Amino acid sequence: MKITYNWLKDFVNLKASPQELAEKLTMAGLEVVALEKVGGDFVLEIEITSNRPDWLSVLGVAREVGAIYGLKLKNPKLKEPKIKPNDLWPIKISVSQKQDCPFYSGRIISDVKVGSSVQWLKERVESLGCRSVNNIVDITNYCLFELGQPLHAFDLDKLGNREIRVRRAHADEKIVTLDGVTRVLGPEILVIADTQKPIALAGIMGGKETEVTAKTRNILLESAVFNPVLIRRAKQKLGLQSESAYRFERGVDWEAASNASLAAQDLILKLASGKPAGFKSLGVTKVTYPVINLDVVYLNKVLGTAITVLKAKQILKSLGLQVQTKTRSILNVKVPSFRQDLKLPVDLVEEVARIYGYAKVPQTLPAVKPGQAVLDKRDLLGSIKNILCGLGLSEAITYSLIDRALLKKSGINADTGIIEILNPLSREQEILRPELFPSLIRILAYNLDQQQEQVSIFEIANIFSGQANAVAEKPLLGIALCGAQGFFTKQGLIKDEISLLHLKGILEVLFSRLGIKNFDFTRQQDNKINIMINQKQAGFMLDLNPQEQAAFDIKNRQVVLAQVDLDKLFGGINLGKKFSDVPKYPPITRDISFVINEGISVQELLVAIEAKGLPLLKQAKIADYYQGKQIPAGSKGLTISCLYRLDSRTLTEAEIVPVHNSICSLLEERFGVQLR
Amino acid sequence: MDINSIQAQIEGDLIKIDSIAGLEEVRVKYLGRKGLLAELTGSIPNLPVEQRGIFGQQVNALKNKLSGLLAEKEGILKTKDSVFKKNNLDIGMPGIARELGHIHPITQIIDEICAIFIRMGFSIVEGPEVETEYNNFTGLNIPLEHPSRDAFDTFYLKNYPKLLLRSHTSPVQVRAMKAQKPPLAIVVPGRVYRPDAVDASHLFMFHQIEGFLVDKNIRFSDLKGILELFAKSVFGQDIKMRFRPHFFPFTEPSVEVDISCIICKGQGCSVCGRKGWLEILGAGMIHPNVFKQVGYNWKVYTGFAFGMGVERIAMLKYGIKDIRLFFENDLRFLKQF
Repeated sequence: MKITYNWLKDFVNLKASPQELAEKLTMAGLEVVALEKVGGDFVLEIEITSNRPDWLSVLGVAREVGAIYGLKLKNPKLKEPKIKPNDLWPIKISVSQKQDCPFYSGRIISDVKVGSSVQWLKERVESLGCRSVNNIVDITNYCLFELGQPLHAFDLDKLGNREIRVRRAHADEKIVTLDGVTRVLGPEILVIADTQKPIALAGIMGGKETEVTAKTRNILLESAVFNPVLIRRAKQKLGLQSESAYRFERGVDWEAASNASLAAQDLILKLASGKPAGFKSLGVTKVTYPVINLDVVYLNKVLGTAITVLKAKQILKSLGLQVQTKTRSILNVKVPSFRQDLKLPVDLVEEVARIYGYAKVPQTLPAVKPGQAVLDKRDLLGSIKNILCGLGLSEAITYSLIDRALLKKSGINADTGIIEILNPLSREQEILRPELFPSLIRILAYNLDQQQEQVSIFEIANIFSGQANAVAEKPLLGIALCGAQGFFTKQGLIKDEISLLHLKGILEVLFSRLGIKNFDFTRQQDNKINIMINQKQAGFMLDLNPQEQAAFDIKNRQVVLAQVDLDKLFGGINLGKKFSDVPKYPPITRDISFVINEGISVQELLVAIEAKGLPLLKQAKIADYYQGKQIPAGSKGLTISCLYRLDSRTLTEAEIVPVHNSICSLLEERFGVQLR
Repeated sequence: MDINSIQAQIEGDLIKIDSIAGLEEVRVKYLGRKGLLAELTGSIPNLPVEQRGIFGQQVNALKNKLSGLLAEKEGILKTKDSVFKKNNLDIGMPGIARELGHIHPITQIIDEICAIFIRMGFSIVEGPEVETEYNNFTGLNIPLEHPSRDAFDTFYLKNYPKLLLRSHTSPVQVRAMKAQKPPLAIVVPGRVYRPDAVDASHLFMFHQIEGFLVDKNIRFSDLKGILELFAKSVFGQDIKMRFRPHFFPFTEPSVEVDISCIICKGQGCSVCGRKGWLEILGAGMIHPNVFKQVGYNWKVYTGFAFGMGVERIAMLKYGIKDIRLFFENDLRFLKQF
């Protein structure tokens, strides 16, 4: 909202410079976001919070300035003029539902001379960015800006039967508003009508037909209070914002409605001649002022201050509230009609604190009683992120809202349980994602497109699925890898093309680091491997096939993905540690090199060897493998390293020979290997 | 030449030697077939009989001593040579190590902020991203049809009329307070959603951190103290702070907190819009109506709450000008953190 410095001076004897004023207002909760010199005046643009409709006027801000600087507010009261019975015109006003319009007043001014505004009036309304129309319209706008009460002037002679009816619009009723737009209305919209048709959108905008023009002789000046919710709904439904609607949806001041009508009449008589020819109001005539008891002890308890009763009283009074001391510390505060936001004692605490100055409230530190310091899921997630980071993966954060097209591209055809967004702004926000990995493929493809040779990323985020009456959120870990991982050795650069085994290695390190003992990888399809934790599927690894890659414009690369259900992973975590003795006696290791049919699983082999070698064999592991020209096609070369040891004494060579030989025979007989 | 001066000469010669070749020359000079010691041995028959025995012993001792010194020197020189070889390595060659990955800057900021509050004794609590209308609005004293809701534009879900995507992390206040009795000292990080048109400073998804402390005798002055401690930990000890009155439906009194611009130090620049101040968070004393909703007695308990946008803090701290970069996940961006 904009106001001007000189305009404020009409109400308070302000001495401070515009810059200083801006600073003070900001620190009192009226944030001045711009200060601009316009002609001989300064325009202040203030961000008014939605709880303070009373600040949406020069008078309201002046009241605040008065409180800040301890200045008296000049706000002369106007009196209703006496009209001779002969000059009185009949006024017909009716309000169909009182809750839609608790107060409506109409004032007739006859024989006005519509013309352009005098210079000062024109300058004032234009300084606030409002177009000058004619003296009558400018005066209503002037009063709106000055007093915060929206007013509307109708050309009385264009009203059917010169009558005002405040009612809901009928279905499909139409009106052409002042901006020239034809609007189709409905029963949820409150209108001002004459006997036949709507002539204004109540509280939002007037109609073109009854607008005040150069030919207008007699006017009806409307000043009313409309139901804020009704105005807000209508405004949203019509997509129409106006200075009037902005104030009505926040709530206008009942008393100001009467005062503004008088003030506007006063100006019209002065600047556009005319004669007062009648006034009629419907609805609220008397307002009762709510009373709040503020205990200054409570005030200081909430703020951590030592503000005296006298100081609190003085501040509240400076804001235009009526205050009486009830007991030693309790103030009896009567809330005027322009402060409908004040309801509870704590609201008054804020008022005192604002004017006293937040800066003057001391800074203290509370005694925080710590909650239970248990290692929770969030700590585990932190560990997971750090482990993955240590393995060279970078964390991505992608949107939970995605487009259906992304699912389709990723080969997901699920249609049930998808959560749709009711009011997305674009296609990209149409659903809540039911899977994590599609977002990661997209990020991976993006990075490949940016000429990144190698992409290793992960994300931890929720996915969403619909149930009968609820939406389930499930935390997942997603990993996506692609490209050649280049690293130096003493022999120079080695480029290692990422494969499912790299992904498996990452998961193995992660799982064992988290103390997950029981995990396994089993093939589900050619390019899909199940990740098993405690014999249950906890996720999958996927080697993206060329068609799937093509959907993301990835060409000739190997892309591998993993997705792990974190709740299932948490179920397998065991961070308890148990020490077993470091071996006292040296082991003996024996390697076996052989060629084997490539269809035989290495894991099966190792399990068989370990069973055979008991109890001397402590460990059998792959020491090397080879596939290539030097061995027949369809087979692989393996070296298995067997470690033998006894815990009670040093083993002798002679003791392991029979065991090792039996393992070799097992390999030959059961697995048909060719020892080398 | 007597034995002693020969020994001194040998030691003097050895000190100057700095290579295996030089050492060989010394060895030949003294221990060679025509060396000085051979000469001394050769001179024995010319001596008087009674001196021959003693002199012979002295020459032998010198010979042994010299052999020892030469061996020792050779050892030193050999080690030194191998050191020279290591120094031939070009240290400008790339170091050998596997590259580490990078934690997303948003996670880093969240962790940093949470750590500050954990050190003060706060606990971390998280809440669901799909919330009820009650927790997101009504429970927080935000009326259904009031302009104060304009600040919380919200995504709604089809077929679930009472559910929405939380537009702030504050619903976790309602959840936590309904679940347990004071004292509470809780920090809530998480994703939030608002249907905002996307530009350099607005997105439809971003992160917030919420914090709240509820107990008997929690005061506005405590809020100021905690927030100063927090802001100085994140932005440095020399920042200035100011507390501006503001309005939030769920706090009263409410405040917006500014820090002196970390770019221009309060002089006014493009980042702070020439104001010299940067708004970093909103806060206030928890509204009695919120306490009523969760069943706390507002006459017994008071508390404060604060909330901040993580992306904004990260942008200020790292000098990032476009919020969209956080979710593009370009590795050239991620690898800078």
